[in-house]
Amino acid sequence: MIDVHKHFGGVRALNGVSLALERGRIYGLIGPNGSGKTTLFNCVTGIEGAEGGRVLLDGERIDGLRPWQIARRGVGRTFQVIRVFPELTALENLLVVTTGPHEAARTRARELLGFVKLEALADEYAGNLSYGQQKLVEFVRMLMRDPALILLDEPAAGVNRTLLNDLLDAVRRLRDEGKTVLLVEHDMKVVMGLCEHVFVLDHGEKIAEGPPGVIQSDERVIEAYFGR
Amino acid sequence: MRRLAPAALAAAILALAVYPILGTGYGTRSVLQVFMWIALAGSWNIISGLTGYVSFGHVAFFGAGAYTAGILIASVGWSWPAAALAGGGAAALLALGIGGPCLRLKGPYFAIAMLGLNEVLRALVSYFERLTGGGNGLSLPTLDATVPVYYAMGLTAAAVTLGARLIIGSRFGLRLMTIREDEVAAEAMGIPTFRHKLVAFLLSAIGPGIAGALTARDQGYIEPLSVFPLATTITMIVMTLFGGKGTVWGPVLGAVVLFVAQELVWARYPYVHPLLFGAIIVGVVLAMPRGVLGLLQTKYRLPRTI
Repeated sequence: MIDVHKHFGGVRALNGVSLALERGRIYGLIGPNGSGKTTLFNCVTGIEGAEGGRVLLDGERIDGLRPWQIARRGVGRTFQVIRVFPELTALENLLVVTTGPHEAARTRARELLGFVKLEALADEYAGNLSYGQQKLVEFVRMLMRDPALILLDEPAAGVNRTLLNDLLDAVRRLRDEGKTVLLVEHDMKVVMGLCEHVFVLDHGEKIAEGPPGVIQSDERVIEAYFGR
Repeated sequence: MRRLAPAALAAAILALAVYPILGTGYGTRSVLQVFMWIALAGSWNIISGLTGYVSFGHVAFFGAGAYTAGILIASVGWSWPAAALAGGGAAALLALGIGGPCLRLKGPYFAIAMLGLNEVLRALVSYFERLTGGGNGLSLPTLDATVPVYYAMGLTAAAVTLGARLIIGSRFGLRLMTIREDEVAAEAMGIPTFRHKLVAFLLSAIGPGIAGALTARDQGYIEPLSVFPLATTITMIVMTLFGGKGTVWGPVLGAVVLFVAQELVWARYPYVHPLLFGAIIVGVVLAMPRGVLGLLQTKYRLPRTI
């Protein structure tokens, strides 16, 4: 489903990484810093153009499309560094994403803010919210389009335990609704506890994949993380 | 406040509508100037205040409208109201043509490209002498139309402000703001940012085009230096920043306050007035980057459509 190449100047950021994802499962994407995880996300969402390979969503090619077209095909994402719209309110952050009738959008946006217990802060500027709250706004904003494929870039980073558990429950619920989740995460507890299948990247190449238990004891993975 | 505002607005419109009948000629010309600045600042606000794409050559649309109308009136014999609409149309077409390449540029590069566009237009107008009169300028047939132009300019200012109100109160307006806030995130959320920028740019060109055409008719004579001055762009920027970029009434407030201030200072200390403008820019940017209304808006949680 995903098979991409990408290089920056002479640096090969992604060298033919192929990932096959099945609907309704949670996947993890791990690897040392600079291994190409975020670049892979950017290639899939069209923010960076891939220089080879293909990205298929339900058998249709989405590589080469503009980011907004890919989003409308059902790919939602969050960012490693939070990217809410700070001078828009929490509610407006969600409203802008939709194109449907105004009332329906408003109802859905309020529902989603309730889903992450932020309804009381709906009219607060997103920039005034705490880090964790902004992370939740970004998370539900991505859900406004009801994406089939959800890409989460370090959802656990900087989030306290209670909030994190809520977030992970939310991800599981989305999976149960039939959505596919691919997440980049450095917190191994989160990866091992949540993901059903893990891909490991190193220097722009996939060096291993499999169930979390197997990955944990894979020699190449241990070597990539800790050196020989 | 909520009930008072529409009444105050109605009273202001009524007063402005009867003003040319009761007021002095000087007063009428001054209010006409204020209308022009409201139309210019309000239009600049649509592209730059909302999307954050700072146009440093917005006077190009003013000049394009002025020359379109000037040529249609002087050489083709059009009536000035028709020529004014054509001026707005020409500016919109120009925006459509240059928006394609220019709006793909980010940040300062867009600002510089717009600055360049204005210089190019001025050079072109000077070059095509047969059509435009070149550096000698273009004279329009004599006609005292100050009062009708006053109403037309007032209508233009009102239309620009109403347009801003409708845009800022809509999801389209919010989407324009997402471009200012974080263009990459906006794209990733399914917002076709380029298309949005282009529409905003086109809308922001119409008002200056019409204002330029009306000014050409009112002054009866235009030349490249008088309709493409960088100072006009800077003035509309300062007015909008002062009043509050991204707000509906900010450009109106900025146009009124700064025009009056400028007239007072200019009359008494002609040499100080550029200095005053510079001081205002620095003061506004340092003390209240959101402008007067932006500051009130965040402090008292006023609605977005103020």
